[in-house]
Amino acid sequence: MRSSRTAEPEAVAGRGRIDLCSKAHARKRASFLSRSPLIMSIPDYMQCAEDHQTVLVVVQPVGMVSDENFFRIYKRISTVSQINVRDSQRVLYIRYRHHYSPENNEWGDFQTHRKVVGLIAITDCGSAKDWPQTFEKFHLQKEIYGSTLYDSRLFVFGLQGDIADQPRTDVAFYPSYDECDTVEKRVEDFIDSLFIVLESKRLDRATDKSGDKIPLLCITFEKKDFVGLDTDSRHYKKRCQGRMRKHVGDLCLQAGMLQDSLVHYHMSVELLRSVNDFLWLGAALEGLCSASVIYHYPGGTGSKPGTRRTPGASLPTETGKRHRPGAQEVLIDPDVCASNSIISHRYLGALSTNGINADTSAEIGRAKNCLSPEDIIEKYKEAISYYGKYKNAGVIELEACVKAVRVLAIQKRSMEASEFLQNAVYINLRQLSEEEKIQRYSILSELYELIGFHRKSAFFKRVAAMQCVAPSIAEPGWRACYKLLLETLPGYSLSLDPKDFSKGTHKGWAAVQMRLLHELVYASRRMGNPALSVRHLSFLLQTMLDFLSDQEKKDVTQSLESYTSKCPGTMEVITLPDGLVLPPVPFTKLPIVRSVKLLNLPVSLRPQKVKSLLGQNMSTKSPFIYSPIIAHNRGEEKNKKIDFQWVQGDVCEVQLMVYNPMPFELRVENMGLLTSGVDFESLPAALSLPAESGLYPVTLVGVPRTTGQIAINGYHTSVFGVSSDCLLENLPGLKSNCSTVEVIPALPRLQISTSLPRSAHTLQPSSGDEVSTNVSVQLYNGETQQLIIKLENIGKEPLEKLEVTAKTISTKEKLYGDFLSWDLEETLSQLPLKPGMIATFTVNIKVKLDFSCQENLLQDLNDDGISVSGLPFSSPFRQVVKPRVESKPFNAAESSKGGDFSHVKILEAILSFKYSGGPGHSEGYYRNLSLGLHVEVEPSVFFTRVSTLPATSTRQCHLLLDVFNSTEHELTVSAKNNEDLVLHAGECQRMAIRVDKFNFEDFPELTGESLQFANQKQLEEERQQAKGFEINSKLDIHWKIPSLKREGKASVEGVLNQLVLEHLQLAPLQWDVLVDGKPCDCDVIADCKVGDPIQLEVRLTNRSKHLVGPFALTVIPYQDFQNGVHNYELHDIITFVGSNTFYIDHVKPTENSACFGALLFLYTGDFYLNIKFHDDNSSRELPLSWFCLPSVHIRAIDPALQTQF
Amino acid sequence: MAVCVAVIAKENYPLYIRSIPTENELKFHYTVHTSLDVVDEKISAMGKALVDQRELYLGLLYPTEDYKVYGYVTNSKVKFVMVVDSSNTALRDNEIRSMFRKLHNSYTDVMCNPFYNPGDPIQSRAFDNMVMSMMVQVC
Repeated sequence: MRSSRTAEPEAVAGRGRIDLCSKAHARKRASFLSRSPLIMSIPDYMQCAEDHQTVLVVVQPVGMVSDENFFRIYKRISTVSQINVRDSQRVLYIRYRHHYSPENNEWGDFQTHRKVVGLIAITDCGSAKDWPQTFEKFHLQKEIYGSTLYDSRLFVFGLQGDIADQPRTDVAFYPSYDECDTVEKRVEDFIDSLFIVLESKRLDRATDKSGDKIPLLCITFEKKDFVGLDTDSRHYKKRCQGRMRKHVGDLCLQAGMLQDSLVHYHMSVELLRSVNDFLWLGAALEGLCSASVIYHYPGGTGSKPGTRRTPGASLPTETGKRHRPGAQEVLIDPDVCASNSIISHRYLGALSTNGINADTSAEIGRAKNCLSPEDIIEKYKEAISYYGKYKNAGVIELEACVKAVRVLAIQKRSMEASEFLQNAVYINLRQLSEEEKIQRYSILSELYELIGFHRKSAFFKRVAAMQCVAPSIAEPGWRACYKLLLETLPGYSLSLDPKDFSKGTHKGWAAVQMRLLHELVYASRRMGNPALSVRHLSFLLQTMLDFLSDQEKKDVTQSLESYTSKCPGTMEVITLPDGLVLPPVPFTKLPIVRSVKLLNLPVSLRPQKVKSLLGQNMSTKSPFIYSPIIAHNRGEEKNKKIDFQWVQGDVCEVQLMVYNPMPFELRVENMGLLTSGVDFESLPAALSLPAESGLYPVTLVGVPRTTGQIAINGYHTSVFGVSSDCLLENLPGLKSNCSTVEVIPALPRLQISTSLPRSAHTLQPSSGDEVSTNVSVQLYNGETQQLIIKLENIGKEPLEKLEVTAKTISTKEKLYGDFLSWDLEETLSQLPLKPGMIATFTVNIKVKLDFSCQENLLQDLNDDGISVSGLPFSSPFRQVVKPRVESKPFNAAESSKGGDFSHVKILEAILSFKYSGGPGHSEGYYRNLSLGLHVEVEPSVFFTRVSTLPATSTRQCHLLLDVFNSTEHELTVSAKNNEDLVLHAGECQRMAIRVDKFNFEDFPELTGESLQFANQKQLEEERQQAKGFEINSKLDIHWKIPSLKREGKASVEGVLNQLVLEHLQLAPLQWDVLVDGKPCDCDVIADCKVGDPIQLEVRLTNRSKHLVGPFALTVIPYQDFQNGVHNYELHDIITFVGSNTFYIDHVKPTENSACFGALLFLYTGDFYLNIKFHDDNSSRELPLSWFCLPSVHIRAIDPALQTQF
Repeated sequence: MAVCVAVIAKENYPLYIRSIPTENELKFHYTVHTSLDVVDEKISAMGKALVDQRELYLGLLYPTEDYKVYGYVTNSKVKFVMVVDSSNTALRDNEIRSMFRKLHNSYTDVMCNPFYNPGDPIQSRAFDNMVMSMMVQVC
């Protein structure tokens, strides 16, 4: 019989055997009772000890009764579960069944609560003519349980009329299912009638005289074993007695006489033990246990304790009292009294040997007869071991085990309960149907749950679930399987909420949890609910990722992909019909996100706030410059908020560092941002992460559509067809830094394109300026280039405001003049610039650098210098100026020519366009776009040396310039009033330009303010620069390279030194000599007549700021013989009218003074007047060049001759 | 003699499990997992006893048809569960005890490893070898 064990393959681990006795062997011995047609085979797993005191009533429909109506009535009948029997305090308990196997009824003599004693039939009967037929059916129904029935009732619904009006005890008529108020009353009456029969039976059996022949009670399968047995033997009699005593005990218990039943059971045990009638001994022991349990635990041990509780019967003592009157009542009856005495007598006789006190006092007897809680278990164990000897009693054994477990559960003795349960697992009834197996495993699971063995419970529930879909079942119940599997979740400490797993590390038995999840997936798939299986599979992947092997990861993802191809995974909560909620499973581990960083806009698009005048200081809104509290608050705010802004309508970026924990390439699709606070258009990205990748940066982008505070809450992905919304707050191991940023109103966007080629050069970013575009150009020094910049508004807002600033990157080169110049007005007139429109902006690039500081060149030219200084006080310093056109190839410089050309100088500048417009403008934001300008300046022409020669006029002088062509091309140089000078490559030539002297005093003085700050040296430099500029503009020297068609200006500023400048400067003291009232300068020859005195006037105009004088001037006439000999001995020829010495007193600034004298020429001839200063010690500090007086040339002619001409 | 040895963390998840018929490892997972019910029950029953007098050896947790499951719990509530073939009747309680003691010593060695984080799965080779020796040993 053990061979059928294989029927429970899944239960192996839970299967065990308690060694109640060496049962296996005992059972083998007992197997001689093998063949029997009527084995009770359907165990009632819900049985509990209290059921022993109930009477069994079967309620069944007869004919066609709808389930709904039947159960409505059944429910009402069931409410009458206990009856206080009339005028006694005994309580009758009733157990209703709507289905009861007649086979089980066969065991009614063995344990009377298994006997169907009442039948209530419910029937529909529409018309009177159906009535006989219906009634016939009722009789047939009665036949089934006929042998055991005490009484029966038929409830007829729907029948009205004559038949219904006849009062009948066994039939009740009701017009309809709704009008049957008296059902309960009828049931109570019925129970009463049952009680009467029960009571009479009890009394009948109890009063059996000892001398009478006691019939042998036996179960069907036993009958043949007793065939031919000697019925007169003592042994047989004892057996009969024992069984009958046990039977009486059962009846007493049912009739509410607990104490009496205890007594009977005790006696029965004694009797049966002596004859080794194990099966009945077991039953007697179980009866004893049941009665004791009822006594000890009036609350009940079953699953529905509430229905059994009676008011005032909750305490054992009360229960006892409640039973006593019943006993007394029996005693009053003479028959009963007699029987009672007999019982007592026998009882005494039987028990005295057992050492039980023979006191008949009910009080004492109760205490003695009732088993202690420990004893109950002992006796259960014994009883079960006896049952175990009989194969046919499997159901009884099983039920006894279940009852014992329930008792132990109440006693909180889990360990012993588990032993009983293991025994129950092991009891083999017969080839169970699949359904029965499921029921069996479920009930085992429930019982394990009852004793707190959750894992074991889960195990059996899972076995039951597997049984639902066993391959032998034609129609697998996947739905039931799934439901049962769900119930096992707590036992495996598994919840289906992924949030429970995000906290800390995974805790639990991963191997079994994974198995369960796999089963859930499979069951839900077979159930035809792909959404559910996707959810479970996602959960498996998400929570068990660490425990999956590489192969398993592959398998799981493959099946997930195949599922999602039919039903994509969503983020919706799935609610099962039974109310279980399956929260969504976001794949926060596929890929794993390590950090989230919001990125600023690119520099050119970064919005900047126009600093209002009040702005900075007022922002804190505090009168204190510093307060620790505010500082603290600020710090906190900073942690949360980011110090940059995003702009509405512009693409914003968030960078995630992710990695792929899978051993294969992970394709993440539709990855985008989850935000709140602002309408955000997320632009999803798809990425493919290589297997087991390291940290991998991913940039997610989106466009804010409105303004305000935007919070990045998380991201969404679609992996293996499952969409997930991963919230940052739920991500473990993520530094949750600030994720809120302000979105400011939209601004226009500018794009720059220029006429110049783009440059690969990147400017050295100084002071954090970043340049978006770079252009470069190559220019010859002095050249001017136009840069046309096209500004295109590629945004969606009109550009309303534009500011341009330029910043030259500090260079060591000395730059003359404005490097960049532009006219903004023209561009501004094109504003506002509508989206898509282009404005042009022109910048002039002018390069003027000093390339002349090459020492070697200067040295080379120094020797042939015509000294500029000249003789002091040699006035007029007359020299014929021949523009020396010397061709002087630079042999020396030739070698260093290569070096010269490497002297390309670099100029760099940044043009910044600050622009704004649209709503962002009104909010005070602007954008800054920078254009880098890289200019390579090659030397063109430069002046290696500069010197001056005084011209004949004191107001003019000659500037001698050595011009060097450092280009590789032939070029021409032209000054304003000279002809072009052609220079070959590398050639140096001298050119002379006559220039008017400059009156630098006219330059506006620097304002007092700047004077204060600049030191003396700087002032001097600036002054010199201004002078240089002036000179340069006067000179206006141009060069032209005809071959390249390029031209530019050459500048002398760099080469001008102090000495040259002094010579170029107009002296502040201006001397005018007037002969005969006519100014006399340079080559002007004053004519006079011999004999006539001519007037000589020396006028001094003081243009300096100081008082000058007094001066003494002496006029010395001489004759120049043009051969270097000057004849000063002219006393006879010229005579002065008056003094030949003039004295000029102090001359105040801007004033002038004049001295007058007269000359008388006695002879004709050419005469010169040399006006000399007397060396007055007064004004030595004045420079010599200030006293540069023009030489006067007078030609005295004969008046006669003159008149002659 | 032993067919399965498991070390279970205080929080009832496996730190180590090894069984001899590796093809049906899950079966032993279930066996050991369900045995934890009994372990819990025994520990809670023991809870009242004084800590230093506590017996670490829990004895037979439950017998199944083919196996006997024995348990042992350390003072830090780490459980050792050993599954023994029930056909092996020669095995005495004392031998089981000594095996558990060996297991405990080896586990202590694992814990002494400064590179081992308590709560991580045990991957020590020495521990593995010791367990294997206990399982291979034929009585």
